[in-house]
Amino acid sequence: MTVLEGRGLTRRFGGLVAVDRVDIQVHQGEILGLFGPNGADKTTLFNLLAGAILPSEGHVYLEGREVTHLPAHRRAQLGLARTFQIVQPFRSLTALENVLVALARDSYRRLLPLGKLGTPERRAKAMALLEQVGIADFANRNVSQVPLGVLKRLEVARALALEPKVLLLDEPLAGLTFKEAEEVLAVVTALRGRIAVVLVEHHVRLALLVCDRAMVLDRGAVIAEGGPEAVRSDPRVIQVYLGEEDATA
Amino acid sequence: MYVVTIFQLLLIYGLLTLSLNLVVGLAGQVNLGHAAFFGVGAYVGGTLLKAGSPFLLALAAGGVAATALGLVLGAVSLRLRGDYLAIATIAFNFAVVAAFLYTPYFGGAYGLSGIPRGMAPGTYLLALLATFALAVFIHERVRNSESGYAFVALRDSEAAAEAIGLSVARFKLVAFALSTALAGVAGVFYAAYIGTLRPEDFGFPLSVTLMAMLVVGGIGGLWGPILGAFLLGGFAQAFAFVHDYQAVLYGLLLALVMRYRPQGILGRTS
Amino acid sequence: MDLFTLTALLGDGLAVGSIYALTALGLTLVYGLLRVLHVAHAGVYAVGAYAGWWAFRGTGSFVLALGTSAVVAALVGLFLEAWFYRPLQSRPPHVALIGSIGLFLAVGDLLRILFGPYQQSLPALAPTPVVGMLTTPQLFVVAATAVLLLGVYLLVEQTRLGLGWRAMAQDAQTAAALEVDLPLMSRLAFLAASLLAGLAGVLVGAYYNQVYPTMGAVLAYKGLAIVVLGGLGNLWGTVAAALLLGLLESLAVAYLGNRFPPEGVAFVALILVLLFRPQGLFSRARR
Repeated sequence: MTVLEGRGLTRRFGGLVAVDRVDIQVHQGEILGLFGPNGADKTTLFNLLAGAILPSEGHVYLEGREVTHLPAHRRAQLGLARTFQIVQPFRSLTALENVLVALARDSYRRLLPLGKLGTPERRAKAMALLEQVGIADFANRNVSQVPLGVLKRLEVARALALEPKVLLLDEPLAGLTFKEAEEVLAVVTALRGRIAVVLVEHHVRLALLVCDRAMVLDRGAVIAEGGPEAVRSDPRVIQVYLGEEDATA
Repeated sequence: MYVVTIFQLLLIYGLLTLSLNLVVGLAGQVNLGHAAFFGVGAYVGGTLLKAGSPFLLALAAGGVAATALGLVLGAVSLRLRGDYLAIATIAFNFAVVAAFLYTPYFGGAYGLSGIPRGMAPGTYLLALLATFALAVFIHERVRNSESGYAFVALRDSEAAAEAIGLSVARFKLVAFALSTALAGVAGVFYAAYIGTLRPEDFGFPLSVTLMAMLVVGGIGGLWGPILGAFLLGGFAQAFAFVHDYQAVLYGLLLALVMRYRPQGILGRTS
Repeated sequence: MDLFTLTALLGDGLAVGSIYALTALGLTLVYGLLRVLHVAHAGVYAVGAYAGWWAFRGTGSFVLALGTSAVVAALVGLFLEAWFYRPLQSRPPHVALIGSIGLFLAVGDLLRILFGPYQQSLPALAPTPVVGMLTTPQLFVVAATAVLLLGVYLLVEQTRLGLGWRAMAQDAQTAAALEVDLPLMSRLAFLAASLLAGLAGVLVGAYYNQVYPTMGAVLAYKGLAIVVLGGLGNLWGTVAAALLLGLLESLAVAYLGNRFPPEGVAFVALILVLLFRPQGLFSRARR
């Protein structure tokens, strides 16, 4: 079942075509990797799917429903969650509070919700999420004093708090030590079969380990698509990454 | 008796700083034009009081008028960020004062005078105290609720707030609406208190003063804004004996507090 | 339009605009580098004016007046940079803004306490007509500004310092990584800005033959309008906006007379720009 779909997605910035008539389908329970030597087209496609920017042409469907012109917060309410490449925690709050805010999404449909944020039920759910990503120890720590690896996993926990149908991860491994990257990958792998995940990554080799399927972009267009092995050994992919150190990273 | 009069003025300042805190402290938006909403409430409420309307009606009208204008500024805040928003709020303040100045109905440059209190002095004090208590209650209720955390979230990261389903635009508007409603109410009390309104009373210098009160007292929490209001509001009275040096002392106070304790007296180091 | 009216408008407009340009340039330079609205800049301007007045009163030499104002203003600016702005760089923007406003208020009042609330005269430039209605003061102000702006241009475009400034304004982190000395850039920017402001203060004092404690106030507000009009951080846009404003105000006085205060021009322009083109009239659209 297709959870998230982009059809004919195109995005131009002035004269530059960042995304060029891309079709993409994400199926229930799979982990789809999005790769490419150039940063701009992956990020733009990601942001088109997430609702951070609008396409010049094309459509986005979430569970069959057209969301092309819906703003990011509406897509979040409909089950699309995303993380950020440069982490965006709520710095005034603790890790637990970060997740609690995401859990209150039903209340946030109201104009001025005055209920208590940290209800026992929400706290239990929040702790469970923090445990799921392995950062329960940091629950009551203010996030401005917490290492990057923890913040990256917090982003995932916060996104999962939305009970999303699809989770978009924007370079979750960027800036992490090897050990931290392993921890994040473990979290992602555990999601397989439960929700759909789209993973944009620069660290191709690492990411391919967890993907069920991969798509490679070059200059805004899809040049390869398929299982990880097939994509990795695809001559076009190799050629496009030649000279890019990340291909051997 | 004199003390009571000053105390009432300080309560009004307290209402203003608490209202400003909702937008600046919690939601993290800049507002250097808050005096405009105070003024709108004062003029609208004052006009009604002069026409003999009951105090409650004037209060409601002042609050509603200020809120309507507050939503306009809120809409502006959706399009402009940071320093541009700061400058826009300043321009907004000037525009509102100009409106008072050039509207004959509001008395133009002579302003509005002869505004009756609308009730006995004792009742007025009680009403003001009750309103202040209500404002504190609302402030705290909002701050510690889901909405309060929503404001903090959008202050810390608008992108992330959107990504978890918060309508940033809507919450910004709500913040401005609440804040300006309260300021408008304070304005009506002020009109009854002072009896005469002049346009320049609600200009940018007052907005700066309000912002200064907030920042010196400590933004974000409850007691910071109240302390700031009482401290700087009472400043002129307390420092009446150095009347000649008031401005330089005041300016120095602002500069020194910002330099050496930027979180304010009761603020937490973030 | 006859020669007299034209020269009157041009002369006054360009002269006033030049003063605006000299002050606003410093404001936008500081903003571009430190992302802070240096409201106290108008205070530096007033201090420069008084320093120049004091020097002129003592020596009768206008050149000395200019020199003194430049030096004093530069020192004040450097002090503010080191003591106030740089330590507060990591703080939220409202901290520096409120403190700056406090400094501005304090400086203005300090000048009043030291020198009295009344105007002082600075009769350094006799208002003799040159061509039509153009007077010597106007020519002097415009010429002086042109020279100073040329100096700034050379500094910004042709020297390593200017390169450092431009790098820091575009991307401070990368500039630091490339070993641009950010604190030094910041100090020199304040030096240059304050120098210009001080000179502007003396020029205004001589042009209108009056120096008074609150002379910075109007410039504080207009300065904000001008830097937004020109584009926050856009040096030459700001200069253009300043000259434009000077000319528009001249036109307003000439054609609208008492019906519309010339101060309103800056204000109306600011509102229009914020509504329709917040990035400024002269910025390559970056929004």
